[in-house]
Amino acid sequence: MDIKKEVLAIIDEVLSLGGRAAAFELDSPLLGAVPELDSMAVVGLLNMLEERFGFIVEDDEIDGSTFATVGTLVDFVEGKLG
Amino acid sequence: MDVRREVFFIDGRAGQRFCVLTRPVGMPRGGVLFVHPFAEELNKSRRMVSLAAQAFAASGWMVLQIDLHGCGDSAGDFGDACWQGWVDDVALGWSWLRAHCEGPRVLWSLRAGSLLAADWLHGPALEQPALLMWQPVSDGRQHLTQFLRLKAAGEMLADADARQAMSLLRESLQRGDGVEVAGYGLSAALAAGLDAASLRLPPGYTAPVALFEVDSRPQPELSPALARLTERLTKAGNLVRSEAVSGAAFWQTQEIETAPTMIEASLRMLERVAA
Repeated sequence: MDIKKEVLAIIDEVLSLGGRAAAFELDSPLLGAVPELDSMAVVGLLNMLEERFGFIVEDDEIDGSTFATVGTLVDFVEGKLG
Repeated sequence: MDVRREVFFIDGRAGQRFCVLTRPVGMPRGGVLFVHPFAEELNKSRRMVSLAAQAFAASGWMVLQIDLHGCGDSAGDFGDACWQGWVDDVALGWSWLRAHCEGPRVLWSLRAGSLLAADWLHGPALEQPALLMWQPVSDGRQHLTQFLRLKAAGEMLADADARQAMSLLRESLQRGDGVEVAGYGLSAALAAGLDAASLRLPPGYTAPVALFEVDSRPQPELSPALARLTERLTKAGNLVRSEAVSGAAFWQTQEIETAPTMIEASLRMLERVAA
C-alpha cells in the first residue's frame, strides 16, 4: 500500500484542492501554509484517515505538529498502522 | 416500471415510527428494508436514499424506509433514543416487510445503519437476508469519537483544549449524563450502545453480503479499511463481495450530493439476489 498516495488523496478530497495535492512532497508544509486547513478541516482529515485506513486516533494523540507537513502526517499514519 | 410511494406510521415502543414505502405497481419480486445512518448523516443522505429506493422499486422491489425512534418524522426526541430501541425498530420494520411481501428479502443499510443491522442479526432474527451495506461503519467506538469531535473541533488545534473538550464529554457520558453535540442530544445509553457496536455477523451466516464504498477518485480503489473488513468476514465464512465506486461522500458533503454509480452497483447486486 502506498501510504503517501492515499494520504494525498485524502488531503485533496477533504480540502477540496481539485487535484493540487498530487504535487505535494513529503516536506510540503500543511498547517499554516494551506489556507483551507482550518480546525474543521483537521477534524475532517482525522475522520477520513481513520475510516479509510481503519484505525482510531485517541483523544490524547491529536497534536498540531502531526499536521505540520505531508511527511509528519504520513509518519503518523505509518505509526498507527504499526 | 411505474413506482408508487406511500407514507404511514407503524406502532413502536414509545410512539409511532414514520415509514416510507416505495413499490412497483404490480407484484413485487422481493422486499428491501433500509436502515438509516446516525444523526446528521440521515439528513444529508435522504435524497440519495430516496433516488435509490425509486430505482429499486422501478426494477420490481418493494422498499421500506423506517425512521428510527427520535429520528426524522418518528415519535420521540433523539436525546431519548437508545441503541437497543433502535435495534428493536429494525425488527419492527422487518416484521412489517415479512407480512406484506413475498420473495427474497434484503437488508440495506448506510453507515452506522450497518452496525444496527448486524446487532439485529445477532438477536432472535428468524432468517438470513442478503445484506447490502453502503459505506459501512465497522467500529462504533470510532463513529462515536468522530461524532464527539464535532464539538471539540473549535479547539482541535490548541492541543490541551481539544483533549480537555473530549475528556469533558466522555466524563459526562460515563457519569450517565447526556451531552449535546452539533444540535443533537446524545444520551449516555445511546452513546454506550454505539460505542460497543462492531460490524460482525453471526457464525454460519451464508447469505450474500455486499459492501460498497465511494471513492472521489476517477479510478476508485477499495480503501485499506474495507479491504481488511472484507478479509475478516471472508475468513469467518461469510460470502462477501466488496466494491468501490466513483462518487461523492453524499452522507457528509457540504452540499447535498448523490452517487449514481452506487445505485447502479446495488441494482446489479439485487439482480444476483433475485436470480
